[in-house]
Amino acid sequence: MVYKETLGEKWFTISNYLFLILFGCSTVYLFFYILVLSFNDGIDALKGGIYFWPREFTLANYQTAFGNPNIMSAFRLSVLRAGVGTFLSVLLTSMAAYALLRKDLPGRKYIIFYCFFTTLFSGGIIPLYMLYKEIGLINSIWIYIIPGMYSFFNIIIIRTYFENIPHSLSESARMDGAGDLRIFFQIYLPLSKPVLATIALFVAVAHWNDWVTGAFFVNNPDLIPAATLLQKVLAETSFEANAMQQSMNSDLMAKAVSNTTPEALRMAFVIIVTIPVLCVYPFLQKYFVQGVMIGSIKE
Amino acid sequence: MRLKSLWKYKYLYLFLFPAIIYYFIFAYIPMYGITLGFKEFQFNKSIWEMPWAGMQYFDQFINYYKFWDLIRNTLFISFLKLLFGFPAALGLALLLNEIRSRWFKRMIQTVSYLPFFVSWVVVMTLFSKILSPNAGPINELKTKWFGGDPIFFIGDPSWFHSIVVLSDVWKHVGWNTIIFLAAISAINPELYEAASMDGARRFQRMWYITLPSIRPIIGIMLILSMGGLMSAGYEQIYLMRQPSNLAVSEILDTYIIHMGLRQGYYSLATVAGMFQGVVSLVIIFAANSISRRASGVSLW
Repeated sequence: MVYKETLGEKWFTISNYLFLILFGCSTVYLFFYILVLSFNDGIDALKGGIYFWPREFTLANYQTAFGNPNIMSAFRLSVLRAGVGTFLSVLLTSMAAYALLRKDLPGRKYIIFYCFFTTLFSGGIIPLYMLYKEIGLINSIWIYIIPGMYSFFNIIIIRTYFENIPHSLSESARMDGAGDLRIFFQIYLPLSKPVLATIALFVAVAHWNDWVTGAFFVNNPDLIPAATLLQKVLAETSFEANAMQQSMNSDLMAKAVSNTTPEALRMAFVIIVTIPVLCVYPFLQKYFVQGVMIGSIKE
Repeated sequence: MRLKSLWKYKYLYLFLFPAIIYYFIFAYIPMYGITLGFKEFQFNKSIWEMPWAGMQYFDQFINYYKFWDLIRNTLFISFLKLLFGFPAALGLALLLNEIRSRWFKRMIQTVSYLPFFVSWVVVMTLFSKILSPNAGPINELKTKWFGGDPIFFIGDPSWFHSIVVLSDVWKHVGWNTIIFLAAISAINPELYEAASMDGARRFQRMWYITLPSIRPIIGIMLILSMGGLMSAGYEQIYLMRQPSNLAVSEILDTYIIHMGLRQGYYSLATVAGMFQGVVSLVIIFAANSISRRASGVSLW
C-alpha cells in the first residue's frame, strides 16, 4: 500500500496484534494449564497456586496412566477404530465421489438427492438405536466402524477435487484401454493426495474424539474407546460437584491411588488423548483449509 | 440394448453400491423407525410387528408439563450461540485479514483451529479445571483481587449460559473463520486499490468492500446454522447437564437421550426426536426461501 496511515489506523494495527496475541495465548493456556497439572504431584496440586510451571514435578501420573490396563486397552481400541475406520471410509467415500463425478451416469441426480436428503432429515437417535439392536451392532466392535462410514459432505469435497483433475488424463487413459477401475486407482487417487489427507484427518479425528457411540450404544467394558473412557472417568467427578465421592467410587482408577490422585491421573489422561491430534493437524493445515473452502463454496 | 448401455457403467454403480446400501440401512430405515413413536413398544418384537398406539405418545409429549421449557431452553441456547459465535468468527476473520505479517497470521490461525480438533469431553474438562472453585486459576485470581468466596461456575445455574457460550465460541471461532477468510481472499484486489486511490481509509474499505463482498457467504452460513437451531449442540450440553442446572440445561436432545436410552421410554423419545427433525426441516426450508426472496442467497 502506497498511502500513509493515519494515527488511528496505526493504533488499530497495534491493538489488533495485541488482541490476537492475547487470543492465541488464552487458547493455548487452557491446554497448557492441564499439561502443567499433569506433571505436578497430585496431592500438592490440591493446594492450588500452580499456573505456569509444575511445583512438584513428577512423572508418576503418566507412569500410572500408561500402566493402567483399562486405559491402554481403550487406546488400542481407539487406534484400531481410527485406523480401520478411516481407511475404509476414505476408500469408499472416494469411490462414491468418483462415480458421481461422471455427468453421463444414468440416475446420477437421483442418487445425489438420495444421499443429500439424509443430511436434511434423520429418524433420530432412538430409531437408530433400534436398528443397531436389530442388526446386532450394539456391543459389537463394528458399531465403531460401520455407522460413520460415509458423510455426504466428504463425498462432495472429494468430488469437487476430482473435478479439477484434467479430463484429458482419463480420456487418454481410456483410449489406451484403461477401464474405470484403473483410471480411479491409478490416476485419480494418486493425484488427489491433498484432499484424501484432509478427509482422512477429518474422519480420523472424528473417530478419535467420538465418545458418544461408546457411551450410548456399548456397555461392554472391554469395548470402550479412550474418548468414552475419558468421559466416564470425568463424569465420576461430575465437574467436582461431589468432590467427596470422587476418590471413593473411581474403581477404574482404584489401583492408581497409591502414588497419584485420581484428579492428577485424569489430567495425564486428557493430555494423552489430546496429544496425537495436536501432533497431526498443523501439518495438514494447508490441505484442510482448502478442503473446507471447496466444500463450502460448492455447497 | 438399454441394459447393455448401463453395463458400460458397471464399475461406477459398483462404486456407488456400498453408499446406496449404507444410506438405505443407516438413514432410511431409521426414518421408517419413526413409526415407533406411534406404536406400543414391545421388547421382543421388531418395530414392524409392534401394535399401533395412535397419537398417544405424541399427545403425551406435547402435553408434557416441561414441553415448553424444553423448546425454550433449546432455542435459547442455540440463539445465544449464534448471537455470539457468528459475529465472533466474522470479527476474527476481519481482524486476521488486516494482519500483514504472514507467519503471524498463520500462527494465530493454527492456534485458533486447535480447539476444533479436540472432543467436547476435553473442552469441558479444560473449562471445569480453569474455572474450578478448588484451586482453579480464575477463582484464585478472583479471591485474591476482589475477595469473597470462589464461584462454582460450572455448577451454578446462573453461570450456565455464559459457560455454554464461552466454551462454544472458544471451540469453534477459529474454525469458522476459514470460510470467511476464504471468501475474503476471493475478493478482487483491484477493488481495494481503486478505493484507496479514491481516499478510502482502512475501516471504510472494510465496511464498503469486504463486508458487502462476503454477504452471500454470510447468508449461506446463517441459513446453514438455522438447521441446527433445534439441536443446540447436544454433546456439550449433555456433558454440562447435572441435577443442579436441569431447569436451564434440559434441551430436546438430552431429554431424548435421557428418556429413551436411559429410561427406556422409546416411543415417547422417538416422538420427541421426530418433532425435532420435522421442525428443523421446516426451519431450514423457511430460512432458505426467505433468504432467497430477500437477498437472492440460497442453498438450492
